[in-house]
Amino acid sequence: MRMRMALLGALIFVGAGLVMRRAYELSVERAPALREMAEEQYQRSMRLAPKRGTIRDRNGAPLAVSVDVDSVYANPRRMRREGVDPARAMRLLSSVLDLDAERIQHRLESDKLFVWISRRVTPRVAARVRELEIPGVEMVREGRRYYPNRELLSHVLGFANIDGVGIEGLELEYEQQLSGSSERVPVIRDARGHVIFSERALDGRSTRGADLELTIDRTVQRIAERELSLGARTFEARAGSVIVMDPRSGEILAIANFPSFNANEPGDVPAAVRRDRAVTDRFEPGSTIKPFTVASALAAGSIRPEQHFDCEHGAMAVAEYTIHDDKPFDVLTPAQILAFSSNIGAAKIGGTLGREGLYRGLRRFGFGRRTQVGLPGETGGILRDYRRWYEMDAATIAFGQGMSVNALQLATAMGALANGGQLMRPTLVRRLIDGNGETLREFRPRVRRQVVPRATARLVADMLTGVTGPGGTAEEAALDGYLVAGKTGTAQKADYAHGGYDADAWVASFVGFVPAENPRLVISVVIDEPAIAHYGGKVAGPIFRRIAQATLRHLGVPPRGVASRSRRPRRAPANAATATPEATTAPTLAVAAELPPPAPGEVRVPELRDLPARAALVQLRGSHLTGRFEGTGRVVHQDPAAGDVVPEGTRVDLSLAMPRAALGPADESARLASVELTP
Amino acid sequence: MALRMPWPLLGRSKLESSRAALPEVIGKADAPLMAVVVGLVAFGVVMVYSASFVYARHIFDAPAHFLLRQAAFATLGVLLLLGLARVDYHLYRPLTYPLLGLAALLLMVVVFGLGHSAGGASRWISVGPVHVQPAEVAKLAIIFWMAYSLSKKQDRIRSFSVGFLPHVLMSGFLMLLCLKQPDFGSAVMIGLLTFVLLFTAGARLGYILGAVLMAAPLAWLLIATSPYRMRRIQAFLQPFQHRLDSGYQIAESLMTFGAGGVTGVGLGDSRQKLLFLPEAHTDFISAIIGEELGLVGVTCVVLAFGFIVWRGLRAAFRSVDDYGTYLAVGITIFVGAQAFTNLAVAMGMLPTKGLVLPFISYGGSSLLVNCAAVGVLLNVSRPRRRLPDDEQETDREPGRAKTGQARDGAGRRPGARANRRRSASPGGEV
Repeated sequence: MRMRMALLGALIFVGAGLVMRRAYELSVERAPALREMAEEQYQRSMRLAPKRGTIRDRNGAPLAVSVDVDSVYANPRRMRREGVDPARAMRLLSSVLDLDAERIQHRLESDKLFVWISRRVTPRVAARVRELEIPGVEMVREGRRYYPNRELLSHVLGFANIDGVGIEGLELEYEQQLSGSSERVPVIRDARGHVIFSERALDGRSTRGADLELTIDRTVQRIAERELSLGARTFEARAGSVIVMDPRSGEILAIANFPSFNANEPGDVPAAVRRDRAVTDRFEPGSTIKPFTVASALAAGSIRPEQHFDCEHGAMAVAEYTIHDDKPFDVLTPAQILAFSSNIGAAKIGGTLGREGLYRGLRRFGFGRRTQVGLPGETGGILRDYRRWYEMDAATIAFGQGMSVNALQLATAMGALANGGQLMRPTLVRRLIDGNGETLREFRPRVRRQVVPRATARLVADMLTGVTGPGGTAEEAALDGYLVAGKTGTAQKADYAHGGYDADAWVASFVGFVPAENPRLVISVVIDEPAIAHYGGKVAGPIFRRIAQATLRHLGVPPRGVASRSRRPRRAPANAATATPEATTAPTLAVAAELPPPAPGEVRVPELRDLPARAALVQLRGSHLTGRFEGTGRVVHQDPAAGDVVPEGTRVDLSLAMPRAALGPADESARLASVELTP
Repeated sequence: MALRMPWPLLGRSKLESSRAALPEVIGKADAPLMAVVVGLVAFGVVMVYSASFVYARHIFDAPAHFLLRQAAFATLGVLLLLGLARVDYHLYRPLTYPLLGLAALLLMVVVFGLGHSAGGASRWISVGPVHVQPAEVAKLAIIFWMAYSLSKKQDRIRSFSVGFLPHVLMSGFLMLLCLKQPDFGSAVMIGLLTFVLLFTAGARLGYILGAVLMAAPLAWLLIATSPYRMRRIQAFLQPFQHRLDSGYQIAESLMTFGAGGVTGVGLGDSRQKLLFLPEAHTDFISAIIGEELGLVGVTCVVLAFGFIVWRGLRAAFRSVDDYGTYLAVGITIFVGAQAFTNLAVAMGMLPTKGLVLPFISYGGSSLLVNCAAVGVLLNVSRPRRRLPDDEQETDREPGRAKTGQARDGAGRRPGARANRRRSASPGGEV
């Protein structure tokens, strides 16, 4: 018996030895591999989801913000344990949430520990779900991207997906900065996926994403979107874009696209609607290119401002094609070629530059390459190398067919004519600001290059005021109280299916700046396939006018009528008060009160002496008068005289002369070639 | 004396006679053994808390849920252990059959309804707030009954019909009830205790081996016909290939040991208890010990149980009668087999059985039963003076002693024989 007991004891100790041997194997020999497997399941490097940065406009108005909201999830296993019937739970949830009942119920019946039911619900819905008190149905806070202005600037802002990752637009372009430090932090989690422990504080405050301050002005943006939408609907257009830019700095004040969409619900519209056409779509610009052709030729010295060009009575043969003008013209100066938009004249001016000269001139204005404004999917347009031009191209590119641009390029190039020849880099983002309010990066205005000499730019700018003058192609773009310079474009769209051009599809555009004498705004309006009319002046011109008018008022740019010019005696025209709403300011009224009001249908002739031609023209139009100009420089004589009461529409003959002291480059005076502007 | 008169008056003669028949206690119980067991119980309370607070918070939203219960049972258990250590083990002899009957009754109650179901098996009976696990009681009952029966049958133990068959039938009956629950682990434990005690008492090796050989295909059949047992076998053989389902527990357990390494991650710092390792505070608490205290901790636990086995067998050797010897062996094997089987299971050396680590794992029934068993063992360990041969034989059952002597013929040492005879006499029961 003792033998057997001893044997038994020995057996047990052998067992103990085996256990120890195995313990050694697990804890020492196989430990590294086993430990790695264990760590794999509880060590997670969690991507910190810091609060995404806010996007603001230039005045600090929020355009895209992140807020913490509730997301509803369920733990089906817990529901089963608590004896919750999935079908009943589903009915309860459906009464509060908008759910795909079948799919969710299927999920609730699974054996999972975690299923989403509805993500990012509103606080009201969250409260109601909480009231249901279904065991196993819980909530977690998640950041939701919210666009408080809905449609406003949605194409540019883009949007973030449900996980808060930028998908399009600025949200995509500045994803890294907005999302903040995306560093991964090691954490310990339990088998249910809950974070138990981390070496680092997870408050997320220190890793807040950077804020973006845009150059966009929310009010201007709203104006642009409203007017674009209105205009595009009026003319039953397929699409359209508007850029509003400050030519002095290249800062973009508004980028509007039509059709628009609500950035909070990007899934509701097809991708085509979400496209930021103003920068991603290229189109053949047509006549809006002509100012740049003229400016290039003037700068190169291949034409003179007063030179006359034979416009061939509206038809000119080039290679096997014929170039037509809308109306037949005989002989036109460059200013008239722009004002009446003669294709033949533009082709001839382009011809004086030669292929290389024209190509280089347009390239200098920024065509054919991206503006690098910092938006995804930007197109650079197409301006083929001159060595690969067809014979026809040399003629047609001079008036904007055979090349393509986007709306932003047009605005930027026009800005160079407005600000005295400097091509600015367009900026959309002004500053990057970190969570503590410190500026991380500032985007200052940057001059790309002096495209054309200052004097040339001014000269062309002067010429462009004729476009909105009487007889010009864009009378409808003219503003009361401000002189508008600009250029229309009415381009046939290329027919990619059949080759050549589509007879019915047009791109109507107007690119201009205002006030012409001291430009504050460059606005490009591009309307794609308007159905009711197709002339740029007719379609895009009014949109330009309305946007410009409202924006100038918003920016507080005084109209010409009340502009205080120290050199000029304060003899403001009395009837300016009746002509322009902007003129109803106190000083003007004070003057107007001294004079007897003219009878209906009659107007008082304003004082025009000492004014440059374009300013005089504005004054005349404000008084519903027309003018006939002789010479260049400032007005030295006018007939009828100032203060005379004449019927509306009366022609005022003006003689202009160059004051000797005012010939310097800094002088604001016009050197307008003699143009007769009669109705 | 006068004050104690009224109560002892009735039973005085009987009490006196039986006390007189008992071997006189001349020493103290095995203090180191007691210290180690109480130490393990205390250590168990700490480990249960460490292993369970995450789970408890998850389930009951009360991290100390298991700690409080375990601490209460530990206090009860230690008191029980200290109390039973003072009760002469011979006094249990009349309780043998009542205890066996109670165990069988409880098992049947559990098997045929009324059981508190948990984990797919009905193993508990609720008595108020306490869940009683009849299988644990049954294990104790079988030890007591075997010790009683074997010491009574003495040399007839070598015969098949008297020495072998009744024991196998009785334990087989209890095993069947356990299997019916189903509780494979308890059935195996009852079988193991039966054969170990038969072996110790001197049953023929041929019978034992034969029975084992017969039981093996039966056991295999039980395993093969039960999908969950089959999965456990598979999981045991290839834990990492079935890591996502049946092998999950074993794989997690192995990883837990590995994560601890030699010195462990520190008490309370286990990561595997973050709901990765199921049953971390019960069956797999040894894995948490391995993770938090490392190989060092596991070694200490193994040494502690090794010490218990050594001291238990030492008590068996030194016992003055066969009944004490068998009790000591049975209890020692009961504790030791549970401990090492549990460790072996946690380390993936044996298939999962559902056995706890005595004194350490969470569970009131198991803790109380093990403490009670060790209390009895401690009493057996008390040195006693051997009764002189004549006194015992004349005082108690002269006839039987003679029969035993007559049957003895196997050429053993006379002293040993005499000793066995003496101790085998069941006092006060005919």
